[in-house]
Amino acid sequence: MRPARSLAWFCLSGLLQAAAPTVTKSATDPAAFQQNVQPVLSKTCTPCHNDRLASGGLNIASFTAPASLAENRDGWDLILRKIRTGEMPPKGIPKPPAAQVDALMKFVQGEFDKADAKIKPDPGRVTARRLNRNEYSNTIRDLLAVDFRAEKDFPTDDSGFGFDNISDVLTISPVLMEKYVAAAERIAARAIGGDPLPKPLEFSYHIKDKTIRRLDFSTIEATHRIDFDAEYTIRIGLPGERAPDARPVTMNIWMDGKLLHSMQVETKPSKLVYFDPYSEEQVKLYLPEGDHVFRVGFVNDDFVKGLSEKDAYSNKKNKFLNSIVFVGPYPSNVEKASRKKILVCDPKSGPACVNTIVATLARRAYRRPVTKAEVASLLRFVGIAQKEGQTVEQGIQLAIEAMLVSPHFLFRVEHDVDPADPTKIHRISDTELATRLSYFLWSSMPDDELLTAAESGKLRVPAVLEHQVNRMLADTKSAALASNFAGQWLETRNLDSVKPDPQKFPDWNPELRDAMKTETRMFFDTVLRENRPVSDFLDAKYTFLNETLAKHYGIAGVTGPDFRRVELSSDERGGVLSQASVLTVSSYPSRTSPVIRGKYVLQNILGTPPPPPDVPALDEAAVGNAGSMRQQLEKHRANATCASCHSRMDPLGFGLENYDGIGKWRTTDGKFPIDSSGTLPDGRTFKGPAEMRAILIAQLPDFTHCLIEKMLTYSLGRGMERYDRRTIDDMNRQLGANGYKFQYLIHEIVQSLPFQSRRGEMIISQNKNSNHAVLTVKEPSR
Amino acid sequence: MIVTRKALARRTFLRGIGTTIALPFLDSMVPAMALAGTAKKAPVRMAFVYLPNGMDMTGWHANYEGKLHDLPRTLKPLDPFKEDITVLGNLTHNAGRALLDGAGDHGRCCGSYLTGIQPRKSLVDIKAGISFDQIVANQIGNQTRFASLEVGLEDARQAGDCDSGYSCAYTNNLAWRSETQPLPPVLDPRALFERLFGNGVVLSPEARARQGRYRRSILDFVTSDTRKLETSLGPTDRRKLDEYLSSIREVERQLEKAEKDNSQIDPHMEKPYGVPADFAEHFKLMTDMMTIAFQADLTRIMTFLVTREGTSRSYREIGIPDGHHPLTHHRNLPDLIEKVAQINNYHMKQFAGWVEKLKSIKEGDGTLLDNSMIVYGAGLADGNKHLHEDLPTLIAGRGGNYIKSGRRVVYRKETPMCNLFLTMMDRMGVHTEHFGDSTGRLEGLDLT
Repeated sequence: MRPARSLAWFCLSGLLQAAAPTVTKSATDPAAFQQNVQPVLSKTCTPCHNDRLASGGLNIASFTAPASLAENRDGWDLILRKIRTGEMPPKGIPKPPAAQVDALMKFVQGEFDKADAKIKPDPGRVTARRLNRNEYSNTIRDLLAVDFRAEKDFPTDDSGFGFDNISDVLTISPVLMEKYVAAAERIAARAIGGDPLPKPLEFSYHIKDKTIRRLDFSTIEATHRIDFDAEYTIRIGLPGERAPDARPVTMNIWMDGKLLHSMQVETKPSKLVYFDPYSEEQVKLYLPEGDHVFRVGFVNDDFVKGLSEKDAYSNKKNKFLNSIVFVGPYPSNVEKASRKKILVCDPKSGPACVNTIVATLARRAYRRPVTKAEVASLLRFVGIAQKEGQTVEQGIQLAIEAMLVSPHFLFRVEHDVDPADPTKIHRISDTELATRLSYFLWSSMPDDELLTAAESGKLRVPAVLEHQVNRMLADTKSAALASNFAGQWLETRNLDSVKPDPQKFPDWNPELRDAMKTETRMFFDTVLRENRPVSDFLDAKYTFLNETLAKHYGIAGVTGPDFRRVELSSDERGGVLSQASVLTVSSYPSRTSPVIRGKYVLQNILGTPPPPPDVPALDEAAVGNAGSMRQQLEKHRANATCASCHSRMDPLGFGLENYDGIGKWRTTDGKFPIDSSGTLPDGRTFKGPAEMRAILIAQLPDFTHCLIEKMLTYSLGRGMERYDRRTIDDMNRQLGANGYKFQYLIHEIVQSLPFQSRRGEMIISQNKNSNHAVLTVKEPSR
Repeated sequence: MIVTRKALARRTFLRGIGTTIALPFLDSMVPAMALAGTAKKAPVRMAFVYLPNGMDMTGWHANYEGKLHDLPRTLKPLDPFKEDITVLGNLTHNAGRALLDGAGDHGRCCGSYLTGIQPRKSLVDIKAGISFDQIVANQIGNQTRFASLEVGLEDARQAGDCDSGYSCAYTNNLAWRSETQPLPPVLDPRALFERLFGNGVVLSPEARARQGRYRRSILDFVTSDTRKLETSLGPTDRRKLDEYLSSIREVERQLEKAEKDNSQIDPHMEKPYGVPADFAEHFKLMTDMMTIAFQADLTRIMTFLVTREGTSRSYREIGIPDGHHPLTHHRNLPDLIEKVAQINNYHMKQFAGWVEKLKSIKEGDGTLLDNSMIVYGAGLADGNKHLHEDLPTLIAGRGGNYIKSGRRVVYRKETPMCNLFLTMMDRMGVHTEHFGDSTGRLEGLDLT
């Protein structure tokens, strides 16, 4: 991934140059440039990358002067990488003598190192960033103990660099603002819980109405929206009966994957009903407002094993589930967790308490100490409500509404000493640091302990910071890293939207999908929590399976729906690239795509931006429809323009061809045998996924570089810039020296310059009228 | 007492609106318009329906110009309405082409479709232009509760990049409020319902008035807080907060408008829950609500991003399990091309359903459709080759008795799409001389 360089950088480097003129330019000796660089450029590159052809959008003419090393660094980086990986020159173009290539690479790299050594460390700056949907939901949960799902209500957050927490692309539209206002009203009302409930309604989901999904013979599922935080009666319809000696079963009710309730159910004939045997079970439970998936099932139901489908749903032969009914809302006697959290004293006792309540909440909502004036301006709302004849509690509710729409809540704003001076590098405040930490590790607000540590000025004491990070990683809230960081890095979030063709993949079902998600989530979480080396991501001798997924993988001895750690005995699987989640999201609905998978590996594992996927000049008609996918693609690669790109991408995809479009192991694709061997452009070869993994492990620093870049991007909420290179390289070396331990990486990020500091930005005077203070230097053409 | 309501009812809440139920347009709109002195003339509305991944052009092109008779395959579902549509040929979006920016036709064609500007190739530093529907919204949007409405059916990819270095913002959005602020479409029927008609809870007039007062004082409070905060920030941070402030102003304007009408619109439909798994049902649900929004004059401008550029959505309900985008790169295989054609046809069927609904609603001495310009089109012609010329484009409706419909009009090659936009802006009462790469108005739409 390559960021467009923003003017912030451009101006900074401009300033540096102004301060010490020609620092970068004079450093390059023109004669040496001529001697080392020109031969390869003119003989090998120029024939295609010239004014006229500009193959791949690149014209080498702009790289023939020594100054280009400084002026077009990104372009040069691309050239070096293409040469290093062997993508350039492409097949069919004579390779220059190795000595010439070496000389060029060494010379250019040397010039870069010299230039980099002179660049002042720069933390960059992160633009004021609004909470994204996940962060909003989690923050509401931690602030008010209200279960609110922003993803069901707010428009989709745009993402940049593969993550949806990038400040520059998180915008606020009028629709979102409307939603903020409405959500604030709803959330505050739910938190205080003073509004009367409407009359109870009955909602019924029945197999005959097709409003219920059957997951297996003993499990059903329905999606239902609960309109109020309140109690509801859930009634389960159970037709049929089993043999007189049948044992009772345990029936579980889950909501959104979490177990709500468990009960024993008799399955033998009741002796009360002879015709159409039928029974019901019911339970009254407190349910939170929102759209939920309710699943009800008999667990470990051995009885149905071996039953035919016909018998399983025959009320003479089996007892099964066929309906779920919800009746409610009913008021609950349980004091709401939100009220406990908010009403720290009795607001009826007088203004002092109301003041305490509002001040306490505001500090937590704004994630910093609040001023008296701020509290006073919020207390005004209590007065407004009371003037309208409402209660003091309703007044507090209104004050909460105001807080939730406030920019101090919705935005994470960091203050500069001098916002107009890009050379003024300064550490962010301790509370700002606490906020960065909590949104990085928890995707949520700081808790009391963290905020208090920050307010007391101790957060930057190394032992304290380390302790806090360790404590936060140990907290269950750090599961946010698996769902938000890994879910986007490994693209497994897309599992919810992929739709494999049921004809080609009859095994695909929601259970399998959920199992895939769980495997990768638990795997990531384990590498993190057990502080494993990050090389585990590339290859590991363990994974997490339940029966569904173990069957899918052809691994015996795993029974039941619960996930457990499984040691892998064959080399068919190991690491994320062999996990069904990753293999599914990198496939087409009806088949695998070595190109997509190759691109996936380059982008997410090796950190090299793939070349543009659409080469317009490609004559697709020339690709026949006979032959295996591999033969087709190889034909496609015969074209030199396509070849250079595909020579890197495709082998990595072919190496994964033993896994079908949903990650099942295979040795043939239709009538064609699978050939999962590959030759990388640099000449290394492998046979099958295990050998490919070994090759990836051999270039571990490339992977860790990629991982660091992704994680730093995620933690900062901004793209990587030129000046971050040194930070990343340093971190990568340190990580290697410390056994590639995952938690070490997290500590390093937390302690890094860009995480701890920021600077002002360049203000462009001539552009005052426009609201675009940032110009962009265009990426070099590729 | 317990009222029993089958869950099934929630899925079939859509009763035949339009033909059978008198909608509030007549009741509440007429007085409002009488005030404005335009009681006799219904307003002109416009909408854009955007389809991704181009079209099978052999199924789109008729082999004749002038009066429509035999419709080509893709347009067939519009056969009952062929007097109401105008098919336009040779409209081109030069800004969608590479022009030295390299690959990324999908990102570019969507980002430039309504903005007429080649979007900046960037992952984060996004920049397109203000889209022409928003120029219109800025001028006439204050006459309706919502300046414009953005709707879609497909959620964004949750991870990964979108197209060759183009930010997902370009494919996630059609309308751009400013060159850096895209307007995200509402995807969830419930969210659209709540936006248009409130959350389903009927408030007493007093309660509604109080809610308005509360909202207003909260917005005042956050506005002044934001202004204070801004003084200490640098320009990029300020820009973010300016976006926030301008969105607050828009919400305030809506509040004001709602207070003036002081009525809750009863859409005569139950509040929907969840997103229908079925594409056709989702399409119908959204367009039903869009129809009501037009009818009740809640807005006059809509953009409808049916699915996203580059989408790999499959259409199993019509027997197509393959992804849409991979299919369009069909390698000239007849069976793949056939599937693309079927998808195009399926989309058109859904659209025809909407056209039928618009036509069924009487307005003055015509229909709602007569007073609308619903453009149906794609940002690419042939999706296999990523062509940006001769984009498949048609208009349903007559834009207030202006367009002489029922014809296929083929313009000179390379006629800018922006010429159509200029013409539509005229019809919407917003006059400007240039937009994007426009070279003038689209002549002859009003001639037979």
